[in-house]
Amino acid sequence: MYDMHDELLRRLNETKTMSIVGMCKNAGKTTMLNWLLEQGRLQGTLGLTSIGRDGESTDVVTGTEKPGIFVREGTLIATARDMLRLGDITQEILMTTGIPTPLGEVVIVRARSAGYVQLAGPSITTQLKTVSGEFFDLGADISIIDGALGRKSLGARAVAEGVILCTGASYDMNMDKVVADTAHIYHLMNLPKAAELPPEAAEGLEKCWRENGAAFITGALTDSMVLPLLRSGVLRNGRLVVKDPSKVLLKPDTLDKLAARNIVLETEEAARILCVTVNPVSAYGWRFDKDAFKAAMTAAVDAPVINVKEELL
Amino acid sequence: MITISFDEKVKIGLQYALETLHGCSPFGLERIRRLRFYAPDEREALETELYNVKALAESNDALKDTYTRLMTLMCQIKDIRNSLRRCRDGEVPDHVELFEIKGYLQRLENIIPLLETINDTAHLKGVTIHDPTAALAILDPQHTGSRGFYIPDSATAKLKEIRSAKKEVEEHLFHAQTDAEKDDLRLRRTRICAEEESEEMKIRRDMGARLSPMVEDLLADAETVGRLDFMVQKALFAVRYGGTLPQLTDGELVLEDMINPEICDLLAEQGRAFVPVSIALERGATVITGANMGGKSVAMKTVALNVLLLQAGFLVCAKKARMPLFHSVRMLFDDLQSIQSGLSGFGSEIVQFQKALCEVEQGYSLFLLDEFARGTNPDEGAVIVQAVTRYLNDVNAISLLTTHYDKVAEYAHDHYQIIGLRDVDPEQIRRELSMTTEDGVTVIARHMNYGLYRVEGKSDCPRDALNICRMLSLKPEILRLIEEKY
Repeated sequence: MYDMHDELLRRLNETKTMSIVGMCKNAGKTTMLNWLLEQGRLQGTLGLTSIGRDGESTDVVTGTEKPGIFVREGTLIATARDMLRLGDITQEILMTTGIPTPLGEVVIVRARSAGYVQLAGPSITTQLKTVSGEFFDLGADISIIDGALGRKSLGARAVAEGVILCTGASYDMNMDKVVADTAHIYHLMNLPKAAELPPEAAEGLEKCWRENGAAFITGALTDSMVLPLLRSGVLRNGRLVVKDPSKVLLKPDTLDKLAARNIVLETEEAARILCVTVNPVSAYGWRFDKDAFKAAMTAAVDAPVINVKEELL
Repeated sequence: MITISFDEKVKIGLQYALETLHGCSPFGLERIRRLRFYAPDEREALETELYNVKALAESNDALKDTYTRLMTLMCQIKDIRNSLRRCRDGEVPDHVELFEIKGYLQRLENIIPLLETINDTAHLKGVTIHDPTAALAILDPQHTGSRGFYIPDSATAKLKEIRSAKKEVEEHLFHAQTDAEKDDLRLRRTRICAEEESEEMKIRRDMGARLSPMVEDLLADAETVGRLDFMVQKALFAVRYGGTLPQLTDGELVLEDMINPEICDLLAEQGRAFVPVSIALERGATVITGANMGGKSVAMKTVALNVLLLQAGFLVCAKKARMPLFHSVRMLFDDLQSIQSGLSGFGSEIVQFQKALCEVEQGYSLFLLDEFARGTNPDEGAVIVQAVTRYLNDVNAISLLTTHYDKVAEYAHDHYQIIGLRDVDPEQIRRELSMTTEDGVTVIARHMNYGLYRVEGKSDCPRDALNICRMLSLKPEILRLIEEKY
């Protein structure tokens, strides 16, 4: 087990910007985050923010007890002004960012003592990128973004080189579905980086494909674009490159069909999934067999899988 | 008091002029957004402002880099006036407020040497910023000069004690083995954090209290920065459009070769140039007549623009100027009437006129009437405008009217006419038109002389309309019928 941690920590420490994305509530996002924030795990000064609001002590949706976010001394935190008084670190205010949120302007503070913080960062990816940049200007070595739920969180990966994907029993009562959907998101987020960009499919995918045998798609890639071309047999043996993997809106089934036709899906800017965490206990009462769940998840993805309930203590 | 609506600002090109300015500090931006006009009894303050703007404009070549650095600094200033007022009122500033006040003081500290450099060359009057050193010492007691804000452990003996206890507990927590031990330490930690917060609160309250006697000076500095910001922008405006310091008079208004920046820039885009206009006005009614498309309204708007620029503390866009200060400036443009009033165009025009006249009669004013009463039948309209002109001759105001109507000018104190097509041979334009595919109106506009000349003695409206009909080759049968009547 220690070997796995060492391997994981090596991967994490190689990553300058990472985001933590949850498939559902109670997936163990905060547990994972706290583990990362602890002394001795990540090297150097950390910069921490979130996409939107997170870090309440009880989960608003399910009412389950949530762990607070505990940072070590020296950590830089970007959070909304009104959140500052809800934490208990000794604060040094470093800058105001001019980024507005419903909870006040986003402010960057340095923790002059260890302590709990409440995160409410920018909700727009370009602003997250700005904040990350400020962290590095202020001397951070690693920037961590606590992602929110839902698709929007995928946007956070546009600003992060690495993603930690958290999933758990709370996502669905059917374990196979949890594993399949998580693996689907995993594959989308983990698309390989294109070595070179094919011409842009400005006048429709079909035209571009017939001319070049490959296409670059800057907008959304949907089933209705792909399925007719699969049916007519046009699409086969080639590369489809998307600008933003979060805009791949294909069903898992369609992805399989593309793979069967020997079509490689790539992205302009690749991130990578650093690890997948699983929580076999659901906030709603049911639980999965922890070994079976972890084994199924491990088989479905090509990244370390960690049980947050056992391996992060 | 001069009050100008947004529509009017747009109409005369004042809004355009304001939008060419790049205010940097929130205080400067506020001054531009809420433009204020100097009243006649603020003449001294206005003269100081004009002196400063002129000095800054003249020093532009020497101080260009200093202006750029000053503007960059001013861009970083935040509006902290509310936080300062809260300190003055005895409220406790929070961490971020203290951080922002500290930042403000540091910016002031950086502006002072730039202001000195500017003063060495431009010798500005009445622009000084208080030394922020004492205030900074409160917020940065250890003189670290850091950008951040942090209450140091050494602020009070008690804080030092609390913070080291907090560190110690964390250390113990890190090594704690049993849950019971951890729970106990967490409880202790919570207590210490609460103590820290209340001690910091005391320190923040104390900082606020110590800042409070300096608040008035610091607020005044915000005003000064705003003024300086605006003055630099006014100076750069003058550099762009050739600003002149007018000689202030007690009545007459003389503008030589004035221009309208908005129309200048518009014409420049089309590869044409604005023809500067000169006009001299005295108390009483002056009438401008001239052909359609001749630029009567442009002349009038340019007068209004320059008068308002002056009273907002700008140098004026003219070669030479002698100008009075007005109590109010009112203008009635034919297309500025409220449609919502439910009255006809003419009806609402009369209502607006009444309102404006009422204000004009309060003190020495500038009153502009563009094509007044054009919305009614020409016979009646002429009679109305003649009467208005006669009345305005005795009102304590400079009234400027443009009109198409006959026999108005002879009642006016002065009469100007657009040179228009006076010196152009209609035949030549007709020939030119027959050889080009260009729009006839464009060709005529090119030959139009937008200058004004003073008409001595009695003279009627020019007969340019007939000339324009000829140039545009109106059906000969109709032309003949017109000529019969002339």
